[in-house]
Parts: sequence; structure tokens; C-alpha cells
Amino acid sequence: MHARLRMERPWEVLIVEDDAQTRAFLARCVDADPRLALAGSVGTRSEALVRLAECATPLDAMLVDLGLPDGSGLDLIAHAAEHRPACESIVVSVFGDESTVLAAIEAGAVGYLHKDAGMPDVAEAVLAVKAGGSPISPGIARRVLARCRAAPAGSRPATGPGVQAPAPRLSQRETEVLELIARGYSYAETARRQGVSLHTVQAHIKSLYAKLAVHSKSEAVYEASRLGLLAPPPR
Amino acid sequence: MTPAGAAPGPIARAAHGRRRLPWRTRSPWRGTARPSWLLGAALFVLLAVAAASQAIAGRGGADPRAPTTLLELREAEASVDIDGARHTLRAALPYHWDRRHPGSAGSARFVIDFALDEVPEVPWAAFIGRVGNAYEIRLNDLLLSRAGELDVPDDADFAKVPKLMTIPVGLLRQANRLELLIRADVGRRAGLAPIVLGPETTVRSVHDSASRFRVRGSMVVVAVSLLAGVIALMLWLTQVDGDARGRPRRDALYLYAWGAELCFALRMSDALIERPPLSWPAWNAVTTGALGGWVGCLTLFCMVLVDQDRVRSSAWRRALPALAIASGAAAGFASVAWARPMVLTAWQGVLAVACIVFCIAYLVRTVRNPAPMQRLVAAALVLNVAVGLRDWAVFRLSDAYGHDTLLRYTALAFGLSLGYIAIQRFRTATSQARELLANLSDRVAERESALAESHRQYDVLSREQARVGERERILRDMHDGVGSSLSAAIRQLQGGQVGSDAVVATLRDALDRLKLSIDAMSVPPGDVVALLANLRHRLEPRLVGAGLALEWEVSEMAPVARFDAEAMRVLQSLVLEAVSNVLQHAGANTLRIEAEEVATGPRVRIIDDGRGFDASTRGPRAIAARAGTLHARLAVDGTPGRTTVEIVLPRAVP
Repeated sequence: MHARLRMERPWEVLIVEDDAQTRAFLARCVDADPRLALAGSVGTRSEALVRLAECATPLDAMLVDLGLPDGSGLDLIAHAAEHRPACESIVVSVFGDESTVLAAIEAGAVGYLHKDAGMPDVAEAVLAVKAGGSPISPGIARRVLARCRAAPAGSRPATGPGVQAPAPRLSQRETEVLELIARGYSYAETARRQGVSLHTVQAHIKSLYAKLAVHSKSEAVYEASRLGLLAPPPR
Repeated sequence: MTPAGAAPGPIARAAHGRRRLPWRTRSPWRGTARPSWLLGAALFVLLAVAAASQAIAGRGGADPRAPTTLLELREAEASVDIDGARHTLRAALPYHWDRRHPGSAGSARFVIDFALDEVPEVPWAAFIGRVGNAYEIRLNDLLLSRAGELDVPDDADFAKVPKLMTIPVGLLRQANRLELLIRADVGRRAGLAPIVLGPETTVRSVHDSASRFRVRGSMVVVAVSLLAGVIALMLWLTQVDGDARGRPRRDALYLYAWGAELCFALRMSDALIERPPLSWPAWNAVTTGALGGWVGCLTLFCMVLVDQDRVRSSAWRRALPALAIASGAAAGFASVAWARPMVLTAWQGVLAVACIVFCIAYLVRTVRNPAPMQRLVAAALVLNVAVGLRDWAVFRLSDAYGHDTLLRYTALAFGLSLGYIAIQRFRTATSQARELLANLSDRVAERESALAESHRQYDVLSREQARVGERERILRDMHDGVGSSLSAAIRQLQGGQVGSDAVVATLRDALDRLKLSIDAMSVPPGDVVALLANLRHRLEPRLVGAGLALEWEVSEMAPVARFDAEAMRVLQSLVLEAVSNVLQHAGANTLRIEAEEVATGPRVRIIDDGRGFDASTRGPRAIAARAGTLHARLAVDGTPGRTTVEIVLPRAVP
């Protein structure tokens, strides 16, 4: 299905980045790849919300910086996940540190990108996400595992303000995959050790992303609205 | 009121048709004991005495069901034998031998003729309040009752218990003769009380009433006294306090209470013992000595309550009970053995005066400066002195005969006082213990809050310390890592001799170091696997960029408990250094990283297939220094084609 769509048109990418140079660099990266098309390039959260609401063409991906001048990128991600389900959010982070990335995943992001990434890496990140793959660091894998072990799935029914997101329910295979990734193994090595295809491992990770986001979207939205970051839903 | 057709002779006043017995109207102590000398404070005591006296004296009229026909015989023809001489006289009853014949022993025969209007058709009975010491009673020449040996002086005393004799139908006639023989010992309250005749049921109730007070009352008093004595002795044995110098000390109060109760029980038991174990003079010495002991012990009981130390330090005070016992025994013996009743009367008089003086002094002391419980004991003291004087007057001075002492009942006030004192002391001790406990828990709470405060301060300090440590660590990272890389990049740009690729590489290195520093904050302390995995995650792009194939073999291992954040930073630098060496100097194609648990702890190996080096001369000094910091065992093998840097991280440091 991805292949068929890609033949018809390039992926439409929205860039939300307050630093002009980086924004321009990212735009160049998108422009440079024929499989991608630049749907827009904005520097603030409010502009991004307008684009998300008004853009007539379908949006396929959003490269979003978390530290925007008029708010956090997290609520943009949550907003997009809710109103533009087809639009997959990729966080652009300087450090790609665990806390930032995990928060973005919980808000609904499906991937992340380092700001110092090279030009081909940016395009590859978008294409990989659209192809069904999501990156995950060993640190994040370890934290997700630790959360699942500390609170077995289903044991934390309460959600809401001040409550840590409940642990996602992981299958046995997902847990094994996460354990290998937490020990530093690559997707390919993990697939080999598990005797499955690389695509299966990627599917597991994507599924994990979805679980993390489903379980915590309400918290992310609540948190964003509490901080006054969330604009009223577009009419 | 003399019955018609009465036989000539000494016919007693017959009290036909009278509800009240004649003796009830005559309360023998009324004219003799005058308690007006007592202090006003003791008024209630007198009221109590009067009430008790009335209750006991009024025993005969207590039963409203008593029939109206009772005959009281109050006169007799007496023939008295003393030392072989016989006197005949008409005697009024009661006949009190000790008053009529002080200091003499002997025998007497009383003959009472009395007439009846009608011969009774129901059984009658005769009641005599006191007769003896030994006696034989005949009615119309038929033996009614006999007790004791008439011919053996100072033998058993059967006068103590009230007598009831049943008179069968047919024995009484219109004209009757009652004949009584008695043996009288010196000073033993021998004699004959008035005789009450009437239908058996009525007379029996009179007898029972008298018996209840004299016999059963005495038994109760003796039992209570013995019980109180046992309790006092137990208290004395078990309640041991320390004195000022910490030596164990018993409370003499209980000892004297025990002595008093024991003496009193002995004295009172005399009323129940008809056959004493000793001959009369010796037994009289015992009972009189017991009375002295009771008074002596009670005096000390009262004194100890005020000031125990004063009693303890005064030999003559402590000798009081012994003195009283000895003098009482001597007086009791002398009065009988030497036939001098006045000796006993005088001894009792002296005792009474001493008691009055003590009582007044004690009252004054109590009013001025009462010790705890002293008021109660003072009241008991006044009561007993008053009643004791009344008894003394009745028994030693008046002609009263067949009466009971009241002291036996009022003496119980001391036993009750003792009980009250013991209870109060227990309550005080309990309340003190409770206060002590509360005090203790207050102090514990105080200490706990102080401890909590010091914990809080410690927490604040250690948080501050941790913050300072973290700041130092970040500064060091900035300085060694990012700072030095940025400086290098600036020099490269200023020098203008290197290409932009080299500058980019330097800056990338700076960013990588920065990322690693940030990651180090997230890696759980001691988790070597997480640290290695993270390093790979960060360094992989560079390894790929350098065309270096990576082999990864890392097992799951438990964290090293002794590693803190700083140790993790050092370990990260160590591994990074080793990998950088491979990247920069080894010219290797493959980098292999292994990690597994060995006997002593996690073992990490960094292996490459590069050109190798002479480990003995060109050892990686920075790596060795860092390994030393971690107490890790470092082994370097620089064989070309397989260079190995091995680090073992012992879980326990020797």
C-alpha cells in the first residue's frame, strides 16, 4: 500500500522548527529527495496549528522541534495524532535523550531525528517511518521494560493528572525484542537472534510506539492544555 | 405486778405483759462514761459510739414478734463460800463477783423461788446472759445444765457464752425453785446475770440475739483482724523501697499494723475460748499483754504514718510495744495471782491516760500539719480512745455485768484505715507510674522529632552535596569533553591548515561527548550493560563512518551495587577511550565488544584485529588510571591481529 501510494505522489512533509538555519536545512533535505515534498515550513507552534487545521492536501509527516518560542512541540504532536492520524510526527532533537524522546512518543510521535543528522539521514528518517520502521534507543527500551516490570500491564487503571502513564501491555516476543535492544543489539542482530525478519522487529517497535501513545495520549493532551499550550480545536 | 398467790421468799419482779425487757431501760454506761471531755472534732465519733451501743444494748427488744409473757428473775437468796467462811445474803441480780468480793475466789449457791399463775402447756426456756465461771443449774431439783468443775479453781471459764436451757413441759409448777451453784475465780468476771424465763421460742430469740453479738460478732472481729494482719504482713514482706542511701527498706507501718491486728485477734479470741491452754493467771497475762501489744503497735502505727524516720531513730519509741506487752502481762498476772484486781484496773487507767495524751497530741499535730492519711487515722484513734474509755469504765469501774465491749468493733477502724492507706498508696504509685510513662513517651517523642530533624538536615545536606557533585561532574565533562573539542575546532579553523571535514569531525566529537554526558545521567548507577548499549547507540554512526565492522556480544548482568554516578562516568570514559584508540590508531577492520558475568563481576572486553602495540611500553595510561579509580582489574594484550583490552569490575572491593 505504501509502495502504491508512493508511486502516485511524494510524502507531504510539514517542518516546525524555530531556528531559521535548521529549518532551511531541513527544508533543503526534503526538497532534495524526490520521494518527499515540502508541505510547509513554519517557526512557531501557532503557525503549525493553523497549517495542521487548514492544509487542504494530506499531510504525511511532520518534523517538529519540541522547544518552540510559543509553546511545546508535544501538544502539536498530540494534536496531529488526534486530528491528522495519517500525519506521522518525527521529533527533531539535539540530543535525542531518553526523557525528551519518551515524552514525544507518549504524545504520539513515531520517530526522532538528531539535529546534527546529515542531509541523507533526514530523508531516510522520514522514509523509514513511512515504511513502518521506528527508531528506538537502548535507553528508551530499558525504561519501557523497567516500567512494565514495575507495574504489570493492567494493574494501573487510573489515568489522569499526576498519574504516571500506565505500562503498556507487551507480548512475550515484544518483551524479548526490547530486552535485546536494551542490551545494545541492532534491529538486524535482534532479528537474527530471534529468528525473525527485520520487518517483524520493526513491526514490534512500531506497535510498541502505538501502545505507548495510546496509553498516554490523554496525559499528554492534559499536560499540554494545563500548560496552556493547546489551542482550541479547529472548526 | 407481783403474781397473785406468789410463794413466800425472794420472788423476783415478774415482767408480765411488758414488751420491753427491764434491762433495756438501764444502759449501764450512761452514768459513768462522760465523753464530754473529748474534742469537738470527735463529736461524730461519739455519735457513732452511741449508735453502736444502742444497737447492741437494744438487742432484746429488737424482735417485734416477741410474745408478751417473759419472766425476769432479779433477786436471789445467795450463800457465798470464801476461804471456808459462808455468808448468806439476799442478792440482787446481776451478781458481779469481782465487785462484791474483789481479789477473792470461792463459790456461791443462789436459790430463787418463783410462782406462776398457770402451769405452762408449752416448753419454756431459761436464758442467762452470764453465769460462772463454772456452774450447775437445777430447777425443782432437776439438773438443767452443768459446765466446768465446781471444785477446781482457775479451771476452764464457761461464763463467756450466753446460756439457753430448755425446760420440758411438766417441769414447771405453780411454785418453783431455781437453784444455781457457781465457782468464781479471781478477776474473771464470775457471777450471775438476771435470769429470763418464758416460752422457748421467745427466749431463744433473746438468746440468739445476745449470742449473735457476743459470739458471732467476736468471731467476725477475730477473722477480720487476722485477715488484716496477714495482708499487712504480706505488704511488709513484699513492699521494699530504697532509703536515701539506696539500701532496701521495708515500711514499718505495715509491720506495726500486723502486730496490732495479731494482738487484737488474740485478745478478742478470748471471748470464744472456754478452755484456754493456760491456767487462769497465765492466760490473763497473755490476753492483757495482747491488749498492751495492740495499743503499743497502734501507737507506733500512728507515729510512723507521720514520720517513719523519727520512729526508726528512736529506741524507746520502737520499744513501746514490748513495754506495753510486758507491763500488760505483768499486770494481768499480778491482778489474779496475787488477788489484786486494782493492779489491772490501775494499769488500764495508766494506759487510758497515756492514750488520751497521745490522742490529743496526735490531734493537734494532725490539725497543724497533717501527713497524708493522718486525718483518717486520727479519727480512728479518737474513736477508739473514746470507746476504750467507755469500755474501761463499764468493765472496771461500774457494776455492769453481762455486757459486751464495744472496742472490738471500733478497732476495725484501724484495719479499714490500713486498707485505705494501702489502696491510696497503690493509686499514688499507679498514677506516678502513669506519669512516668507519659513523661517517658514525651521524651521519646522529643528524641524522635530531634532525630527526624537531624535526618531532615542530613537529607538537605546530602542533596546539596549531590547537587554540588553533579555540577562538578558536568563541569568536568564540559571541560574535558565538549570544551576541549570546541577549543580544538577553533584552533583548527584559526590555523586554516585542515579541511572542513576535519573541523566537522571535531565538532561531531564534541556533540557526541555532550550526548554521552547527558546519557550518563539517565543510565542507572551500576548498570554496565545499559552503559555499553548506550555507547554503542551513540558511537555506531562513527564506527560505520570509519568503516569498522562491529561485533556485539553482551549478556544481561545485574548492576554493580558499589558504582555511583561518578564511577559510571569513569567507566564510560574508560570504554570510550579504548574504542577511540581502536578508531584512531589500530587500523582495524573489526571491533568486537564482549561483556559477561565472571566469578568476581562483570567482564568487558574490547577486541580489535588491528596492528596491535607493545602493552609493556606503550600501555594506555589514561585507561589504566581510570581502571585504578574503579578498582577494576585491567589486562591489555597488544598482539597484532588480536588486541584485547579486558576490564573486570569486581562487585566487592577488598
